[in-house]
Amino acid sequence: MTTTLTATTTRPEDRFLHAFEAYAGEVLNGTSEHLATLRRKAIERFGVLGFPGRKSEAWKYTPIAKVLQHPYRIDPMPTVPALTEQTLAGYAIPELDAYRVVLVNGRFVPELSTTSDLPEGVVLTGLEAAARRHADLFEKYFAHYLDFENEPFLALNTAFARDGFFLYVPEGTVLERPVHVLHLIDTDEELFLQPRNVVVAAPGASLKLVTSGHSRTAQRTFTNGVTEVFAGQGAEVHQYDLRLEGEAASGIFSTQAYLEGGACYTNGTLTLGGALVRNNVSVRFDDQEGEAHLYGFFLGRGSMHIDNHTMIDHAVPNCVSNELYKGILDDEATGVFNGKVLVRPHAQQTNAYQSNKSIVLTREARMYSKPELEIYADDVRCTHGAAIGQLDEDGIFYLRTRGLTLQKARAMMLLAFARDVLDQITVEPLRAYLDELVAGRFGA
Amino acid sequence: MSDTAYLQQIAQSDYKYGFETDIEVEKAPPGLSEEVIHYISDRRGEPDWMREWRLRAFRYFMSLLERYEETYPRWAHLKYPDIDFQAISYYAAPQRKPRYKSLDEVDPKILETFRKLGIPLDEQMRLAGVAVDAVMDSVSVATTFKEELAKHGIIFCSMGEAIENYPELVKKYLGSVVPYTDNFFAALNSAVFSDGSFVYVPKGVRCPMELSTYFRINTAGTGQFERTLIIADEGSYVSYLEGCTAPMRDEHQLHAAVVELIALKDAEIKYSTVQNWYPGDAEGKGGVYNFVTKRGICLGENSKISWTQLETGSAITWKYPSVILKGDNSVGEFYSVAFTKGYQQADTGTKMIHLGRNTRSTIISKGIAAGYSNNSYRGLVKVARTADNARNFSQCDSMLLGDKCGAHTFPYLEIENPTAQVEHEATTSKIGEDQIFYCQQRGLSEETAIKLIVNGFCKEVLAQLPMEFAMEAQKLLAIELEGSVG
Repeated sequence: MTTTLTATTTRPEDRFLHAFEAYAGEVLNGTSEHLATLRRKAIERFGVLGFPGRKSEAWKYTPIAKVLQHPYRIDPMPTVPALTEQTLAGYAIPELDAYRVVLVNGRFVPELSTTSDLPEGVVLTGLEAAARRHADLFEKYFAHYLDFENEPFLALNTAFARDGFFLYVPEGTVLERPVHVLHLIDTDEELFLQPRNVVVAAPGASLKLVTSGHSRTAQRTFTNGVTEVFAGQGAEVHQYDLRLEGEAASGIFSTQAYLEGGACYTNGTLTLGGALVRNNVSVRFDDQEGEAHLYGFFLGRGSMHIDNHTMIDHAVPNCVSNELYKGILDDEATGVFNGKVLVRPHAQQTNAYQSNKSIVLTREARMYSKPELEIYADDVRCTHGAAIGQLDEDGIFYLRTRGLTLQKARAMMLLAFARDVLDQITVEPLRAYLDELVAGRFGA
Repeated sequence: MSDTAYLQQIAQSDYKYGFETDIEVEKAPPGLSEEVIHYISDRRGEPDWMREWRLRAFRYFMSLLERYEETYPRWAHLKYPDIDFQAISYYAAPQRKPRYKSLDEVDPKILETFRKLGIPLDEQMRLAGVAVDAVMDSVSVATTFKEELAKHGIIFCSMGEAIENYPELVKKYLGSVVPYTDNFFAALNSAVFSDGSFVYVPKGVRCPMELSTYFRINTAGTGQFERTLIIADEGSYVSYLEGCTAPMRDEHQLHAAVVELIALKDAEIKYSTVQNWYPGDAEGKGGVYNFVTKRGICLGENSKISWTQLETGSAITWKYPSVILKGDNSVGEFYSVAFTKGYQQADTGTKMIHLGRNTRSTIISKGIAAGYSNNSYRGLVKVARTADNARNFSQCDSMLLGDKCGAHTFPYLEIENPTAQVEHEATTSKIGEDQIFYCQQRGLSEETAIKLIVNGFCKEVLAQLPMEFAMEAQKLLAIELEGSVG
């Protein structure tokens, strides 16, 4: 392919490559040789891969290149405005008794975080702090299982990410209280944020993690966030990710989970806010008897664009994966679901289930669904289903005969539709909070 | 596991129709150039408008070829070496003058070929009442029952004859469903298409018999570029059968056919295919490359188009029979069984494009993979903003007979209307040991049990085939599974 490059055309990629050179020294790496080498490798990979183009199958329904044309400000260490406890209270989840981690513009704010009373050996801190104070753990897990070779956004994040949170739960430790990570965007600049989070459950450990993202600005921002999850032998990880950002906040949120034998991983991705939101959740089984449950709910309004992308890699035999994504598209919103289940040769006795159900409420809203199965082993049971439709007329009729208004009846039906997913949430205050939030949006 | 050996045997079984008929053949020199287009047009004695049409397509194709890296479709789940489009001969015709009034004039060797394939042309003519337009390579060599069809005003002839005798119909509809700009292979076909069938069923006529064409690829080094056009005028009905087998050979053969169906108001077209071209040998060497563009349009209200296919052959299958549901209340159907073994690769499915109101579509796809083969279903259901109350149901099941093969499902659902109701379901599994055990316990051999289970797995689809074909299809599937001459 030959493209003529004139002096005036710069690819959006070039801005990042230049920015990297500007920050490559101490700003990004401190004194770590390990990190410097890794970042160099990542940015080179990014340079080769580039942003996905129009023909990229994985981005078929999400024109990401267009969004990235916008000249966001690339700053690995954006300023953090002071926030009061009162402000934070507005983002609290009622009744949730949790360790609190506050990230503002992707940076860990220790003053606002409440991480005392942690069981022995548990590390819960900012990524940057972890790199300094727990260098051994940091080097062991940071970017270790991440496939940035083939994913430009993971490579980009790896090249730039300075902060985020780091959670380590040692062998056999059960973290009784959940961890609540509050991601706030608070800026008067058009920032391009790249937080990076690392979650490690050592063998036999157990943890519950809730992250919620909010924006406190009308400025256009873009977040390229990456969370790495490692679940050791027999570990249990519950992770819930809430997108509650405002209309100017776009982003790609990638979660990569790596499961050792017998580990059990649950992911709930709940998107209720943002402009263009892409959630990438991928799970890889490293050994047998692993279990993964992926739940998703998305509610698109206004001109929101919500893209949920999941990938479950059954690389070994005897694992179970179960996936349910449900969405409601209102106004002019666009929904996308692309789920892939890959069963590699020899991954016998795999049991995989995948389902996507969506409701399109208006003429201007749209839904694109692409559930995929790619299977190379014969002794497996894999099913997937997708359905797009509207509310059951009979159900509405029944409710109306009981004296409910049309609006109330519809709201109840929509809430019931959402509850299939919401009821799977194992952190009760979070479930109640979301139930109320969703009900409120429908006017139920 | 005890049934492994048997399944391996299936996977390795040879192509049973591997022989070549020795007929003298006239061929164009290999390569693609403007001269070749003129050569084809000259050979076929085509009018100027047809020549121009070809040249337009040719120029477009050459522009694609120039930007090959960008324009060549690589999205399918298929792996094969690049095709050298300049190494292919684009025209071949049997030496003898190709128009016969009766079977007696047909080259006895051709008739012998059909007999070996178990398709007794003469038997079918007398007993089954099937009019057969047999295509040996690219020129039609036998057309039967023409008079009977003529009584009803039905036109059933080769594309060449249609261009000569019904230019208005051809001009109006050729390329109207699959324009030459549609895709890489449609462009190639439009430039070099050799022959094919043309059917026109007039208003209110129900075609009294199944129309059938047997295709054969028979000359070493020539691709076959069929072009089929079927028009069902208002209120008419036609069922069309297409069946294919090809002799064994070493080099890859490119086949890039285009089929266009047009159903006007209240009309119905049923199109059935059994495809059993040479899939390559046990090492995956040779075999037909099958890149087909099949598309129908339900142009008028209440029209219906139904595709049924049994795909067992070809090294590479790239085929998506589609329906554009333009007329209100129109119906589209796709029933498919794809069986792959050895090193075969199939990426097949359908597209249902809902444009009209109250349109309905059904997709039933069964994929069976054995040996080292890869079998993919790829289907699109699109509901446009104009398509109120559209309804789709898709069911795609895959069965794996072995642990070296792959079965994949890639459905695309694009919904832009709130009144649409679209459902897709897919499963992948293997034959249960309990199922085989049950059959064996009833006194069936393992082989019979597997045949029975596979047959049951495909039944929903095979039942859609016309009677004459259903028998052949079942037999073919059984033979494919057997791995021995049956």
